[in-house]
Amino acid sequence: MKFKLPFNKQQQQPVQEAPKENLVRVAHATDHFIQSIKNATNNPADLIVKYLPPNVTLIYIDNLIDDQTLNNDIIANLQSKPHDTPEAIEMALSIAEVSQSSLLRETVELMVNGHVVIHIGGFPQTILANIASRESRALSAPENESQVIGTQVGFNESLSTNISLIRRYIVSPNLCNEKVKIGTRTSTSVSLLYMRGIANDQMVQTMRQRIKDLYIDELIDSAVLAEMIDDNSLSVFPQMLLTERPDRFCDGILDGKIGVLVDGSSMAIVSPQGFTEFFQSQEDQNLRWQIATFLRLLRLAAFFLSVYLTPFYVAALTFHYEVIPQAFLVPLSESRALVPFPPIFEALLLEFIIELLREAGARLPTKIGQTIGIVGGIVIGTAAVQAGITSNILLIIIALSALASFTSPSYMMGNVIRLIRFPIIILAGFWGFYGIMLAFCFILIHLLRQSSLGAPYMSPFYPPRLKEMRDSIIRMPVPLTSKRPALTRPKDEHKFVPEPVKPDKS
Amino acid sequence: MILLSFVFLYGCAQTNILDKVGLTTLVGYDVGTEDKIKTTAVIREVNPEFQSNVEVLSTENDTSKGNRMEANRKLSKKIMVGQMRVILFGEELAKKDLRYYIDTNLENASVSNGIFMAIVEGETETLLKYEYQNIEDIGQHIFRLIEQNVKQEYMISSTLHQIAHDYYSSGKEFAMPIIKRDDELVELSGIALFKGSKMVSTLPAKDSFYVKIVRDTFKVGLYETVLENEDVPSEILQKPANKITVAFDAIQSKREMMLVDADTPTFDLNIKIKSRVLEVYPDINQGDPKSVAALEKAIEKKLSKEIRRVIAHSQEVESDIFGFGEKYRSEVRHSKLTKDKWQKIYKDMKVNVHVDFTILRDGVFE
Repeated sequence: MKFKLPFNKQQQQPVQEAPKENLVRVAHATDHFIQSIKNATNNPADLIVKYLPPNVTLIYIDNLIDDQTLNNDIIANLQSKPHDTPEAIEMALSIAEVSQSSLLRETVELMVNGHVVIHIGGFPQTILANIASRESRALSAPENESQVIGTQVGFNESLSTNISLIRRYIVSPNLCNEKVKIGTRTSTSVSLLYMRGIANDQMVQTMRQRIKDLYIDELIDSAVLAEMIDDNSLSVFPQMLLTERPDRFCDGILDGKIGVLVDGSSMAIVSPQGFTEFFQSQEDQNLRWQIATFLRLLRLAAFFLSVYLTPFYVAALTFHYEVIPQAFLVPLSESRALVPFPPIFEALLLEFIIELLREAGARLPTKIGQTIGIVGGIVIGTAAVQAGITSNILLIIIALSALASFTSPSYMMGNVIRLIRFPIIILAGFWGFYGIMLAFCFILIHLLRQSSLGAPYMSPFYPPRLKEMRDSIIRMPVPLTSKRPALTRPKDEHKFVPEPVKPDKS
Repeated sequence: MILLSFVFLYGCAQTNILDKVGLTTLVGYDVGTEDKIKTTAVIREVNPEFQSNVEVLSTENDTSKGNRMEANRKLSKKIMVGQMRVILFGEELAKKDLRYYIDTNLENASVSNGIFMAIVEGETETLLKYEYQNIEDIGQHIFRLIEQNVKQEYMISSTLHQIAHDYYSSGKEFAMPIIKRDDELVELSGIALFKGSKMVSTLPAKDSFYVKIVRDTFKVGLYETVLENEDVPSEILQKPANKITVAFDAIQSKREMMLVDADTPTFDLNIKIKSRVLEVYPDINQGDPKSVAALEKAIEKKLSKEIRRVIAHSQEVESDIFGFGEKYRSEVRHSKLTKDKWQKIYKDMKVNVHVDFTILRDGVFE
């Protein structure tokens, strides 16, 4: 059964707007031209019109351009000697990106992008010089994907900065960068990055198609884009990785994945992405393989612990008291004896409190957040036990599973883990272990059905690709993982030709 | 639709919330008046008012379920048997018939097949109702007592699963440990031998070593034996003595049963024991290979004598707890062995016991 998607992915290209407006030409007369620009931009307060005698006019939007460049490289050059033809002016400007246009619409579009419009009275064209300066914060450490060993730089909100970061990691002419504008109102720049010679053409084509087919009016963040170009937007599991680490992004690209950057967003999209890869951290590459393997197994264990521990408690206490070890029986039943609620209600209540604390901690200012953490953790925790609302053991279990859910390196996946726990708890409270099994099968089937950019989501487990398990939930030493994952169907399968770990002594 | 079925089906699941059930940890069966079953149950109840208490309830009824219903009328919580660990039988009941009890518990899905079964000298009720000073929960205590001894291989293991297997196999009888109250303690006092489902004889607890060594392989068990005067090789003694006490733990034992003659069944029983001698009193020179060899010989002689004695005893009461019949059935074609048939053959069976005892080490200095 296919659900109807909440928005249309395969919508027809928007009908080209009336060519009449598109083809309005730039006026000869200066007054006429200024008026037409003002009309087209609704005469904003920051529109600056500057006359340079005898016949040159400069029009720009104050907040978009770099004042220093304007003064030194444009006004100074224009004032030094008079020019009378657009060609002469174009030659005179010491700016790299200069173009001419005779269409009003194009002129206005570039102007709102940070170009200066130079108009010479009597000529039906404009000269456009790009001196845009965008406000962006300095590069800083990635806040949400911090790691101990490894680079401490994250993407910021500027597309050009982000691309320059990537170009610094991958110094190669094969790094392809395609630019697309998305959003009829915001016209946000979206960059599609991939490695020619590695990335699969079909996947690139699919990705390009999905982005280009979007017909939306606004695009503020890459998370929105990721949700819209996912294979299954209705699934709770993310099928594309959102990362703010340039090293992780580049590692993915070099494996044959396709990256998407959105202007104004500090998160980059990497796809195709397998389910197990959400539990891998870039730090794993920087650690010795034994330690990396241990950490990956730890995260996987944390995933299962986080999802199934509380339901297991609920099911065991509600239906299957037989499975409780005898040594554990008395402490468990004694701590439960004071609680007036059935286990399912007790568990849901505590999970709810923990989620409240987490949400409050994320929303509150940093300083208050810490205080709330202490209040929530200690005061509510101990008070709840003393008041007889919950049992001590459940408190430990809930805290443990909350902690475990944060070990996922991807925040998106961590959210999923926290969410899918609730239905499982309810099922466990209704039908015990049968309910848990039902939920487990449901999740498993759902995961098996998913795909990421057409690639199987559960690879390398389904389809089983035994050799790729070397770099999935474990990480084998680098010489053994010299092949790129088949998940991306890379054109060049080998990263390098592995040499024997221990060369024969000769 | 699916959600709706979830809501409706919720009512179908029967809940047993832990703090709302009384957990039976041990059940003892006795012969009641007028052929009724007398049940003594150790039930742990947890209440908010007091920490937790252990109730020992005795009821008499026609069936064990009837007993459970009767006990339910006396308690504030629903009685469940899912956490039951031990079933005890009174001696008198065991001598009558245990078939009904084995079947009932086997058929009850909520009773684990790993629970231990044991016989009580005298009545279970008196054993369980006695107020022990240092034992808080008599049910758990007996369970741990049996479990610990089985794990250490001091006592034969008799879980419901093993008993049922032996009971339904045509060439083997089951055996259970016997427990009794010894002042303020409960002790394992012996082994009960069964013929069919009736208890026919007992062996003292010391003999459980021989029973175990013939029944199955041995890994960690500790054993002490006394070499009598006539067995003691005089040349190894440094001082003249009447007897030598030897304590050893078998590192590994291996038994091999071979049917040599099928007509009047004759078995070769080869037992290989590799062991570590822990204590010898009085002292002998263990550094000398000759005296070690002599000691080995002496122990072999002693062990085979004891094993012969134990087997002879079981033959006398027609209770093949060692499983010679199983071997017979698997080796002799078309034997169509039944329990009755084997019991008759078993009586006249001959067993040649060979013990090969090797001393690997004689202790380690620390």
